[in-house]
Amino acid sequence: MTAMLSPAPTAPAPRRPARRPLARALLSDWFVLWLSLAYFVVLLPFLPTLGTPANLVNLLSNAWPLLVVALGQTFVMTIGGIDLSQGAVIGLTSTVAAALIATAGAPEVLSKAPIWGLLIGETGGVLAGRIWFGILAMLIAGALVGLVNGALVAWLEMPPFMVTLVSLITVSAFAIWLTQSENIRNLPDGFVALGKGEIVSVYFGPKDTSQIPRRQVHDLVTYAAIIAVALAVALHWLLERTAFGRQVTAVGANRKASEIAGVPVRRVIVLVFVLSALCATVGSILYSARLEAGRPTLGEGTFLLDVIGATVIGGTSLFGGKGKVIWTVFGVMFFVLLSNTLNLMNLSTFHIDMVKGGVILAAALLDVARTRLLRSMA
Amino acid sequence: MTGRSTFLSALGAATVAVAMGTGAQAATICFAFQDLETEFWVAGHKAITTTLADAGHTVIERNANEDANRQLEQVNDCIAQGVDGIIIIPQDGESAVTIVQTAQDNDVPIAVFNRPPSDTSKGIVVVADNATIAEQAVDFVAQKAMEEITDRPIQPLIIVGDLGDPNAVGRKDGFYAALAKYGDKFAEPIEVASEWDAATALANLEAALTANPNVDMIFTSSDFLFPTIRSVLEPRGMWKPRGEDGHVLLAGLDGDATACKLIKDGLVDATGVQDLYFEAQSAMDAILASIDAGEAQPNQVIEDPGFALTADNLGEREMDMWGCVLLSEGFLNN
Repeated sequence: MTAMLSPAPTAPAPRRPARRPLARALLSDWFVLWLSLAYFVVLLPFLPTLGTPANLVNLLSNAWPLLVVALGQTFVMTIGGIDLSQGAVIGLTSTVAAALIATAGAPEVLSKAPIWGLLIGETGGVLAGRIWFGILAMLIAGALVGLVNGALVAWLEMPPFMVTLVSLITVSAFAIWLTQSENIRNLPDGFVALGKGEIVSVYFGPKDTSQIPRRQVHDLVTYAAIIAVALAVALHWLLERTAFGRQVTAVGANRKASEIAGVPVRRVIVLVFVLSALCATVGSILYSARLEAGRPTLGEGTFLLDVIGATVIGGTSLFGGKGKVIWTVFGVMFFVLLSNTLNLMNLSTFHIDMVKGGVILAAALLDVARTRLLRSMA
Repeated sequence: MTGRSTFLSALGAATVAVAMGTGAQAATICFAFQDLETEFWVAGHKAITTTLADAGHTVIERNANEDANRQLEQVNDCIAQGVDGIIIIPQDGESAVTIVQTAQDNDVPIAVFNRPPSDTSKGIVVVADNATIAEQAVDFVAQKAMEEITDRPIQPLIIVGDLGDPNAVGRKDGFYAALAKYGDKFAEPIEVASEWDAATALANLEAALTANPNVDMIFTSSDFLFPTIRSVLEPRGMWKPRGEDGHVLLAGLDGDATACKLIKDGLVDATGVQDLYFEAQSAMDAILASIDAGEAQPNQVIEDPGFALTADNLGEREMDMWGCVLLSEGFLNN
């Protein structure tokens, strides 16, 4: 009888042609790039500073460290998780590296810190000036946090949100305890160059005088850019061209089905969380270097909003199973552009954060719309 | 008369001085601050923005919301916008060094207001003589304590600021310098960390007073923590005015309106005063003079000598303290 009450089956109505380009645009890998370009072009007449070389260089220099961290978040979100501990990893690794490689320590600031006399003294850290050992220590510390996160999620099947929230709290507190909330200065020049050093600088304009003002010389290619681009390329290859990458997507799409298909789900989850923590560590190198200090509070505040926001805006799905490095690259570019333009509009911090929150919400809604669209087209 | 209009009238003289002292050239100034969580910063922000705007200059404001990296990015944005000069209240002494260097590398004069860089050799640095001011305030309560307590060592307590901020270090040094003069009349001070955060100070002070209930005098490195101190002392019966049993001698530093009111009410005994208007005026004068002179990397330290407002000199020096001026204009009623 039920069948009789149901409407008679009809052939699916042909899609309206006008919707097809829209659907194609929404599902395109390049959607956020076009959106960014359109946003840039529309605002350019109203914000002339936006297109100046100095501002474009600022946009890029702000994007590199954020991109590095967001790449790790992309992998975690692709398996259907979230990593709230990235900011804490940044604070911890920044502190550890600075304590080890600083070339001098200030007793009036650090003498009450537990690491004083153990890792750092007046003559500097125990690895003073040995940058690569410091970076190695950072990577180990970061990887350990990721390993614990991944193990708890994979083997105890705890929700990633809860595991990484606990990590966020405990790791942050540990980093602050290490220095009693103090910052560590006197980082080696070689380390600082990783965040601030330029390889190619450019000047646009006529050469009227023998000396070009420093303000008009712009850092185009920096060490931070090289590191971020190299990492993005490597992770793109990992996600798109390897069996591991396909396993990451499969776990996010359907964990049970992946297990049945023989995917080593637990190992994939652990590796993804380790990868996320390692990306946060590389981000920590760039942020610590550009600020020229180890900071236990680095990565606190609204930083996580920026990371998750950029990743979601790029198109990586909050539901897992969908994520691409190129999307995150575009998402970071859009997010940095958005922050920059809001600054140029002289809006207050509170308004800027409100707009950012609204844009992230819009991106999340877009993700829902895209998922529905894909299902309806399947 | 509204609070705003009276505040503006108080700044009138300063406005005229800026307009007259720096010629007619209108400049664009980036004012980058870390946050406005205390009365001192709120009043300083108002003094700087209002005075500059009234003198015909354009002020671009940037609030970093206590994020050093964000502040660096905001300053870079300001430089890209082609500002003529920068006044900054940095997040801490370390990030100040980096930001000052960034501005100077880009040939933009920069002045650091009140919270000095760890290295004060670069930029215009306007800073209070924190150690001396703190020593004066602590010395007053130390002498009062010695008059009242003669049969045992006096137990002092200091609420320390964020020691990454040279202001906090100077204030702590001043506290110890004052007590050092009186040798063993004082017990080993109890140190309570605040990190310039009221919630942290509250938790740590609660713990310290639970472990050491016989504290005789407290010095807070910033006046903004007096409400926090009250919330800890009051339930313990230790928030009493001068002359009553159980009064704990209290001293602070900043000179804000709350401290002024509490001294008048007899609940606080002294506070070290930073001359907010002198500091704001000096920062503005120096940056505008550098812009007019075409000087891109001015390096100068301008020291605010300050003084201590105490229960004894309240009648004579009250109106020298910026907080008392604001209080008289109804600041705390707004």
